[in-house]
Amino acid sequence: MIKEIRFEGMLPEVFQNERIPESDVWKTGLVLERGEHYLIEAASGGGKSSMCSYIFGSRDDYKGKLLFDSRDVREFTISDWQEIRRRNIAYLPQELDLFPELTAWENIQLKNKLTSHLSDAEIENCLEELGIASRRDYPAGRMSIGQQQRVAIIRSICQPFDFILLDEPVSHLDEDNNRIAAAIIGREAERQGAAIVSTSVGNPLLLDNYRKLRL
Amino acid sequence: MNIIGKLLRKNTSPARIAGFMLSNFLGLAIILGGLQFFMDARSIWEDDDSFIRSDYMVINKRVTSENTFGGETGFTADELEEIENQQWVKRVAPFASADYRVSASVTQQGRGLSTYMFFESIPGDFVDVPASQWGWREGSDEIPVIISKDYLTLYNFGFASSAGLPQMSEGLMSGIPLTLTLRSEDGMRTLQFHGRVAGYSNRLNTILVPQEFMDWSNAALGTGKVKNPSRLIIEVSRPGDVAIKDFIAGHDYEIAGDKSATSASFLLRVVVGIVLAIGIVITLLSFFILLLSISLLMEKNRDKLHSLLMLGYDTSVVGAPYRRIVVVASAGAFLLAIGCVFILRAYYLPALEGLDAVSGSVLPMLLLGAVLTAAIILFNLMAISRKVRGAWRIRR
Repeated sequence: MIKEIRFEGMLPEVFQNERIPESDVWKTGLVLERGEHYLIEAASGGGKSSMCSYIFGSRDDYKGKLLFDSRDVREFTISDWQEIRRRNIAYLPQELDLFPELTAWENIQLKNKLTSHLSDAEIENCLEELGIASRRDYPAGRMSIGQQQRVAIIRSICQPFDFILLDEPVSHLDEDNNRIAAAIIGREAERQGAAIVSTSVGNPLLLDNYRKLRL
Repeated sequence: MNIIGKLLRKNTSPARIAGFMLSNFLGLAIILGGLQFFMDARSIWEDDDSFIRSDYMVINKRVTSENTFGGETGFTADELEEIENQQWVKRVAPFASADYRVSASVTQQGRGLSTYMFFESIPGDFVDVPASQWGWREGSDEIPVIISKDYLTLYNFGFASSAGLPQMSEGLMSGIPLTLTLRSEDGMRTLQFHGRVAGYSNRLNTILVPQEFMDWSNAALGTGKVKNPSRLIIEVSRPGDVAIKDFIAGHDYEIAGDKSATSASFLLRVVVGIVLAIGIVITLLSFFILLLSISLLMEKNRDKLHSLLMLGYDTSVVGAPYRRIVVVASAGAFLLAIGCVFILRAYYLPALEGLDAVSGSVLPMLLLGAVLTAAIILFNLMAISRKVRGAWRIRR
């Protein structure tokens, strides 16, 4: 279990020689704690996706330190990270990373079979709630971005996690679907006692009791 | 899992995999076929002389007109040492020659036939004849001799027909009582023995007696003068080695006896060497074809690999579909090549048996094939694992 994620003077290397606006994240000692809700707001190009990639281990082009419960993530091996990705940190990337040739159902099962976290009925339920049950067996590539976003949201909760990173998760959803998505994610996070870290450039996920951070 | 296989095998080019299998099959079939043919055919050229193994070689100095008028054809101690120090030499022994006169006589159908002859000897462990048939003990009046097959041929087809004598087979000749008279240089001492032909050799152009007898008789009848040996028998480590030919030619020496066997086995080795080299080149190329097609395939599917790793799949799981392609294709090509060699063998073996060949073992061929295939698989698996790890980070 990861209880906290600590940023120690972190700064993306690309920002090194630039003057950056005042930030609650970069060059600070920010600590994200399990069980909390965070909304990270930024203008585009502020480094949201970079921050998510750093936490998820797919990039390490930053200065400073990133610590999971005081363990420096730079020491993790690939298999450490794969373990973390299955058990501790869930991630919905901005570009969704769905496989266009697979159906919505197959895309979700690709994750869920790895973790055996949700039952088929629970997944069907989520599809129903988000209004895409009828698209269950459609190839993801033939769906609208909004529909794909909802598939990816369901996929992101198909695992145990201590933190869930959501990179602009509702950018293509209307307010109703935004609320439903927030409810599903909030429900799952609460069940696991996990933290939600969501980013936005203007259409934030409608969470309750969140702490807002400027990037 | 099925979905992963379905995802990652997309973009697989069956033509490229077939191209690999075909070239790998060809390369392996050539290497293994060549090796197997060599194993099966070598017995034709080797071990053709039961008295002397094919890795023994007899050399002497070339006789020129200078030698006739007083030059020496014996090997000096320095020359002997130089030969001993050659890399291809396992051991060397000089031919000892008799230091007395020898005449042999045969009495047959009331007619006597007598001829001058000579003796030479080499250490017993160079002669491949059972101890019961070879060797001599003081007091025995029977001496086993090995004579050159050429002498029998000369007698049968040159002498016997013109002199009105009967032709004789090897067996018959061996049964004839041969009287050997040994006389010292000064004619003062004479000894008589019975000779028994123990065998005929293609490769020893001499009349060979046991070393023990030579030592004893030289002491009894010889003048005691020490002569340099004029012929040497050498055990070589690799018959047909080019270095041997170069050395012999460079020193104006000659290889005595029937050289066709050595040349043929040398030629066989050269031809097999060329065939193996071609096979190795083709196999090497096929290895690169596989490596490139797998790399290309993984490069095309890199985003998918990355996405699967982002979902938390282990690198070993993600690499599995590619590993399967490599193992199945390589093992398939190996089995096809083995099958091909056995079919080929079924065709040439009857022909070889007609040449009195003793077919060789298939084990070295199978082993070599397995080792080559394992190496191809191993290197490709390592490349796959590297590629998967390379897909782990986001491409920048």
